[in-house]
Amino acid sequence: MSSVVTSRGVDATPDALLRDLQGYTIAPPRRVTSVVLDTFDGRLHRAGLRLDHVDGSLVLRDAEGGVARLAAAVAPRFATDLPRGPFRSRLAGVLDVRALLPLATVATTSRRVERRNADGKVTSVVTIHDDVCVGGSPIAGWYATVEELTGYVKPGDRARDVVARHTTDEAPGDVVEVALAAAGVERGGQHIEPGIPLDARGPAIEGFRLVLANLDDAIEVNREGTIENIDSEFLHDLRVAVRRSRSTLRHGRAVLPADVLAWIEPGLKRVGAVTSPPRDLDVQLLEWDASVAILDDASRRALEPLHQQLSRDRDAAYAELAAHLRAGDVTNLLRRWHDTIHAPMDPAAGGRRAGDPLVDVVVKRVRKAQRRLLDHGRAITPETPAELVHDVRKDAKQLRYLLECFADLFPGAARKAFVKRLKRLQDLLGAHQDAEVHAAELRHAAEELPPTTEPATYLAVGQLVEHLERVRQDARDGFAERFAEYDSAATRQALRDMLDGAGT
Amino acid sequence: MKVLATYSIKGGVGKTTAAVNLAGEAARTGARVLLWDLDPQGAATFFVRVKPRLRGGASRLVSKHGELAEHVRATDVPGVDVLPADFSLRHLDIHLDATSPTRLADLLDDVAGVYDVAMLDCAPGITVTSEAVFDAADALLVPTIPATLSARTLEQLDRFLATLDDPPLVLPFVSMIDRRRTVHRHVAADLAAGWPHLLATQVPNVATVERMGVERAPLAAFAPSARGTIAFRDLWAEIADHLW
Repeated sequence: MSSVVTSRGVDATPDALLRDLQGYTIAPPRRVTSVVLDTFDGRLHRAGLRLDHVDGSLVLRDAEGGVARLAAAVAPRFATDLPRGPFRSRLAGVLDVRALLPLATVATTSRRVERRNADGKVTSVVTIHDDVCVGGSPIAGWYATVEELTGYVKPGDRARDVVARHTTDEAPGDVVEVALAAAGVERGGQHIEPGIPLDARGPAIEGFRLVLANLDDAIEVNREGTIENIDSEFLHDLRVAVRRSRSTLRHGRAVLPADVLAWIEPGLKRVGAVTSPPRDLDVQLLEWDASVAILDDASRRALEPLHQQLSRDRDAAYAELAAHLRAGDVTNLLRRWHDTIHAPMDPAAGGRRAGDPLVDVVVKRVRKAQRRLLDHGRAITPETPAELVHDVRKDAKQLRYLLECFADLFPGAARKAFVKRLKRLQDLLGAHQDAEVHAAELRHAAEELPPTTEPATYLAVGQLVEHLERVRQDARDGFAERFAEYDSAATRQALRDMLDGAGT
Repeated sequence: MKVLATYSIKGGVGKTTAAVNLAGEAARTGARVLLWDLDPQGAATFFVRVKPRLRGGASRLVSKHGELAEHVRATDVPGVDVLPADFSLRHLDIHLDATSPTRLADLLDDVAGVYDVAMLDCAPGITVTSEAVFDAADALLVPTIPATLSARTLEQLDRFLATLDDPPLVLPFVSMIDRRRTVHRHVAADLAAGWPHLLATQVPNVATVERMGVERAPLAAFAPSARGTIAFRDLWAEIADHLW
């Protein structure tokens, strides 16, 4: 793959460099504007890729110097907006369901300077860039980019030597890369992980506060994207942050001030409730193709009215959610919570364990959560009603969130080994829950269809519901074996290894 | 990475023209492409203005320690690199016999993360090298001129591939058709009836293709609206539909 380096001019103008590039063909200057695209959480950058929309094309660059180009009059919002092919496959593998957003605009006046051999083949390329601007703000100086073409090392080296006589600060990458760095553009996106550094022996109230403040940041950072309905991950990440917050509050009832718990617990429960309908519909639509894959072509076509109904329901649910998130109650609640949780908390104002060492409180909570999970799980028989199976699922989630949010307190490898065992149980319980919820939503959506709907649509819905019921039953049938795997000596040992190393 | 090979038992059917133009079209639609010229004639290499030279020759290329990367050259076609031909490829059969029948596939595996498409331009005939190509390729793109013996040639290929454990997909297409000629139209129709995988796009026999030897570039670079260019564009779209 070709490699690219860019350096900054030391002369006042590039004229001397142009004179030195004898035997090269110099193209006239032209203004080039590149819009750098990435997701809200910087997925492309984290994957070592950069996507630009420039000159009516999408240009995808990787860290190895590979460049792929696809003609595109407008920048796509999602990878699925692109035609089928390797470009779309590559992007989709990184973006998943996230939308592409403009990160920065870099404009340059560029002159391409080429050297060709006797066969007319281009053997090296130098591009000189003037009037470089990022987001309309000029970057001082001019720049020269040398492209070393694969297999043409000597011509590339000669070009680099000439350029080096007139420039400084050579850096890998093209002028867009250098300009973004010069302008201090943040490339990593915004993505808040639940685990943060914690003082294991510090007061529990401060540890819980820091965890909740971090989760509040995650709620804040995803709120606007949810309101604007940019992509489904904003709502997903916001809901996960709310659920983790609720779980942490519950675990912190003996730690946090009772008067704060009194308003924030029911408040976040309301936020969770208003975000459920649009998320459930998001999941249905995201999984639509996979869900209907079990049907024949005619049944899939017959389901199209339902698919459209779900899309309309989703849009309406998002509009209602946006109204809630903009409205007085929820906005005021979240602002009040933000101010509360980002301010220091006096242990004297907290619960009876507020001043205890954080690690002691959390270890105790882990043991309690594990006991609760095992007690509920052991009581499940084939005849147990579904709600009690869901309780086991909720217990597992409470434990999992605790381990995610307070991860810093536990030795990494031991925690991962325990969570791996917990996750196997959660996967089965999740499959059971998802199948049940999905079937119920399909039944409900079918009831909302207009009376003119063809019988074939209802038949197809019936087939899907029947399939989901089989999936649900399979998961239920597999519960005893999967729970026995969890309720085992191996899990007990994994738990011991994790807790014995806590706080060290 | 998808490995495609323009292949035919017969010579002079438009393999190299197809390889170069389809490589260009693949790159135009967003793929990173490696064009591998396996024909000692080196026509594909000539078309992209690269010198037909492999350091150490074909023996070094396919030796145990050989690597494709050291021989690859950038072309002037955006998104297309070339592994050039060398006259020593006339002995490739001997070298592959001495190493391994899967050697080409192994070499391509090493660059699978760097390219999305490898387009192999093959020499005509059924040889040890052809068998190595069949082993490595996901699909054979078989240019088929609308002549009375063309169906027989396809049948021969089909019979041979049926003896393999994991044969590549065969995507024949009509090449060098002159629709003013009745026999061309009839034979093309017969091929379509007899070969379900025959691609619908037909590549016309046009003068612009001859200019490739003068311009030394794919058709799209110097004749973007020509019938031949549009045919290869449509042909690539059909191929992409089969593979992605």
